[in-house]
Amino acid sequence: TIFTPEQLDAYQDCTFFTRKEILRLFYRYRDLAPQLVPLDYTDKPDVTLPYELIGSMPELKDNPFRQRIAEVFSEDGDGNMTLDDFLDMFSVLSEMAPRDLKAYYAFKIYDFNNDDYICKSDLEKTVNKLTRNELTPEEVSLVCDKVIYEADVDNDGKLSLEDFQHMIVRAPDFLSTFHIRI
Amino acid sequence: MQPPAGSPGPGAAAGAELLRWQWREVQAPCLVAAWILVASLAKIVFHLSRKVTSIVPESCLLILLGLGLGGIVLAVAKKAEYQLEPNMFFLFLLPPIVLDSGYFMPSRLFFNNIGAILTYAVVGTLWNSFATGAALWGLHRAGLMADPGVEAGLMDFLLFGSLISAVDPVAVLAVFEEVHVNETLFIIVFGESLLNDAVTVVLYKVFNSFVELGPAHIRATDYVKGVASFFLVSLGGTAVGLLFAFLLALITRFTKRVRIIEPLFVFLLAYVAYLAAEMVSLSSILAVTFCGICCKKYVEANISQKSRTTVKYTMKTLASSSETIIFMFLGISAVDTSKWAWDTALVLGTLFFILLFRAVGVVLQTYVLNRFRLIPLDRIDQVVMSYGGLRGAVAFALVILLDRDKVKAKDYFVATTIVVVFFTVIVQPCTLSPSQSFPCLLLPFQGLTIKPLVKWLKVKRSDHHKPTLNEELHEHAFDHILAAVEDIVGHHGYHYWRDKWEQFDKKYLSQLLMRKSAYRLRDEIWDVYYKLNIRDAISFVDQGGHVLSAAKLALPSMPSRTSMSESSVTNLLRESGSGACLDLQVIDTVRSRRDKEDAAMHHVLRGSLYKPRRRYKASYSRHFISPDKQERQDKEIFRQNMKRRLETFKSTKHNICSSKSKARLKEKGRKKKNISLTSDAHNGKTHRNVPWQEAAPVLVMISSEEEESDSSETEREDDEGIVFVARATDEVLQGKTTAGSLDVCPSPCIIPPSPTLAEKELPWKGDQADLAVYISSETTKIVPVDMKKAWNQSISSLESIASPPGIESGPQHRRFACPVLEEQSQSASQAMPEQSSCFQFPSHISKSGRSQSDSSPDGTEQQELQPLMATEDQGRMLPSTEPKWLMFNRASHL
Repeated sequence: TIFTPEQLDAYQDCTFFTRKEILRLFYRYRDLAPQLVPLDYTDKPDVTLPYELIGSMPELKDNPFRQRIAEVFSEDGDGNMTLDDFLDMFSVLSEMAPRDLKAYYAFKIYDFNNDDYICKSDLEKTVNKLTRNELTPEEVSLVCDKVIYEADVDNDGKLSLEDFQHMIVRAPDFLSTFHIRI
Repeated sequence: MQPPAGSPGPGAAAGAELLRWQWREVQAPCLVAAWILVASLAKIVFHLSRKVTSIVPESCLLILLGLGLGGIVLAVAKKAEYQLEPNMFFLFLLPPIVLDSGYFMPSRLFFNNIGAILTYAVVGTLWNSFATGAALWGLHRAGLMADPGVEAGLMDFLLFGSLISAVDPVAVLAVFEEVHVNETLFIIVFGESLLNDAVTVVLYKVFNSFVELGPAHIRATDYVKGVASFFLVSLGGTAVGLLFAFLLALITRFTKRVRIIEPLFVFLLAYVAYLAAEMVSLSSILAVTFCGICCKKYVEANISQKSRTTVKYTMKTLASSSETIIFMFLGISAVDTSKWAWDTALVLGTLFFILLFRAVGVVLQTYVLNRFRLIPLDRIDQVVMSYGGLRGAVAFALVILLDRDKVKAKDYFVATTIVVVFFTVIVQPCTLSPSQSFPCLLLPFQGLTIKPLVKWLKVKRSDHHKPTLNEELHEHAFDHILAAVEDIVGHHGYHYWRDKWEQFDKKYLSQLLMRKSAYRLRDEIWDVYYKLNIRDAISFVDQGGHVLSAAKLALPSMPSRTSMSESSVTNLLRESGSGACLDLQVIDTVRSRRDKEDAAMHHVLRGSLYKPRRRYKASYSRHFISPDKQERQDKEIFRQNMKRRLETFKSTKHNICSSKSKARLKEKGRKKKNISLTSDAHNGKTHRNVPWQEAAPVLVMISSEEEESDSSETEREDDEGIVFVARATDEVLQGKTTAGSLDVCPSPCIIPPSPTLAEKELPWKGDQADLAVYISSETTKIVPVDMKKAWNQSISSLESIASPPGIESGPQHRRFACPVLEEQSQSASQAMPEQSSCFQFPSHISKSGRSQSDSSPDGTEQQELQPLMATEDQGRMLPSTEPKWLMFNRASHL
């Protein structure tokens, strides 16, 4: 047995998953580093996958957001993932998760400097990551201004969570794509 | 469209004749043209009344028109003359429609739903045809088909089922585009109709051969062959499509100099793909569809804006007229009763079964699919999908193709097919379409008594909201985020594969298939930004920015000008002779307050004056479309307005084009350096004393080629559509005039290379590198990068000590690079020794050299641009010679 029934219940309560899915995710988690993760979680071992392990995955090599995702979903903010973090991440991306929760985490991913606003520097980072630094700084700055201009409801020059949610709600297709089926 | 056999021929004429009646020669194309004309006119008439077309779909009206026309022809000629010929349909009418739909297919949406589409297309079609065929056979066995003429076995019915059960892309497109259901629903039904072609073709062929063989001779291997041929036909068709898409993209990469035939390649290669697939009996519809879907990204990036528009409109025109003709001929063909044989049970049974099985199939498949879909298809979607299974011309053409000797019941099948097609195209859309009631003649059918389905069921309609930058941004970001998460968990889902594909595309395919210049331009985020900005600009101008600009035209030294209209400004410029007058300020070199004022004035002038209207040589070129005068002026006004507006809005709008072109040209320059001109440059320096002819021929060849590529590069810019810039307008303007002047405009570029914001004080203090980069195509050609460096250094030293030698390289090189000079090698070679001897006084030398080149009778426009650049550059460096220069310059212009 990997988990005690109490643990499974607790996980079920905290996430949007069934027991079976939780076990499946656990195996996925363990596949990342079989040597680090024990097969017995009943005594709550303190296991953390360091970010280096995730960031060095060959599939992720080209992904511009790998570090950011790990940072946002890890508890310590440095990208080191525990099993709980791992489950949290997929819970947010599951179909059952409410739209606001998804919007919140999407917002957090964009908010690079963690000041609870998407400001221009955050957006510039995003755009640079997306375009792989192919645009000139001027162009990036123009694009970011436009993005803020489009979504900034309260005109404070940066996007708050409310602005972001408002924008997301206006385009209903968006969050419907923010799903992963495990 | 069989031309009538005994048409009125020429009367017998005796002796020599003045005119001859040549109907026979032009008969076939004339009839084709006449039919297209009739159909198009009919469309106009239909759309005269908005009410009618909002109630009745156009396809229905066309069929009804066809019925009417067919009736007239039948009444006049006593026999049905024209009808839809399968050959014509498959070879000419179908390809444009399929190409259009493939090319303009929203590919992201398509691939997002590819699973559902494939399921419906393959499983659904198989199910429909087998179930329909078997059920009809059962009906026949039960003795319900009273007419003894219906002699058909199981294979005949399966054959009929296969051709009647395929959803038809033409009909679906015609109807669903008018109905405006939501995107997902549309793409699923439409994608299904395109992709089920492979299934239909295979089933049709297999059953046809089975029927021909006779049921007794079919062996087990034949069934296996049938299954195998399905994969062969579908995958082979797709492969042909992909191959041609690749070819097409590759070809358009190299059409830089033959812009005018770019659209042709698109149509030609797509059509060849269709024919190639048809030739080896692969699925031609799949071939064209995938050719269209896959080539679009690269083709659109490679071809110019105008070609894009041309492709778009031509494609739409062709598809629309094909569709029109198809529906009209369906109507006409239906009148031909000689091919009809009516059996009520067969007709009603078929109608009933195709509706029933379609509905059952859709429900069952959706049930399975919804377990895998993120956004499930709800009940309403299912109803629309099952009701939207329209049959059309493909079924009709296939049934006509049947062999009457082999398929005894062909006439019955034809009649049934016509009824089914009419039912689905006329009746179903009428219920689908969002009208309140349908008052006209088709009341008996059940569908018409229902309120229009879509409206009634409140099907989610497509909402056309404006694309925003946010959407684009987040879409990309989400893609990456989800792909990252899938990677972390090691789950190879949809996002994983899309991410992999995009990386592959970016790394290899785009590099291979797109032009270097287009490659960067295609960054989607920037693209969207660009489009949004242009839209804003257009809406602003629509709101009357025009007036604003004239009112704001305030010049410090000319107070009365404020109210001056544009035309009078133009006149002012004209009065003062050539546009070179604007450059008079350049003469002064002593920096004083007055100079600064002048400089400011200079800026203001250049920023706000409209360029003088030029006289263009009346020229006709088959190979280049020159923007006409009006267009240019409009563009200029537009640009001025934009500039003003953006300044006032102060929203940091920035020069879009110049930075781009800068980068592009820089790259160009770098490349050049790598290829040839480095060595040339060294040659030029080291062999200064060598007679010029030795080095000249090679250099001339290379540079002429390069010049050509360069000039077309600038022309590309010219083709970019509406270019608006917020700042430093003139760079673009200049680029345009340069490009235009190569073949149209004899007059030189008037406005000097404009300063960037970086140079704060005087226009002539601009950094030379930039100037050299985007002054004009010639300059780029002339000055290779390393030379430029040397030049810059020497210039910077010049500013302090004014030592001339560095300048030498500029003009000399220019002369080397100028292709026209080859003809003047005689005179130039005379000038050369002098040049090398009095090395220290380059201004004189270059002047003498120039005077020869300029005064030479065959000096072309290119050259005229060149001296201008030269004078400015040199004028800046050697102010003392400036007045002469300028005078000289003007003389050469006037």
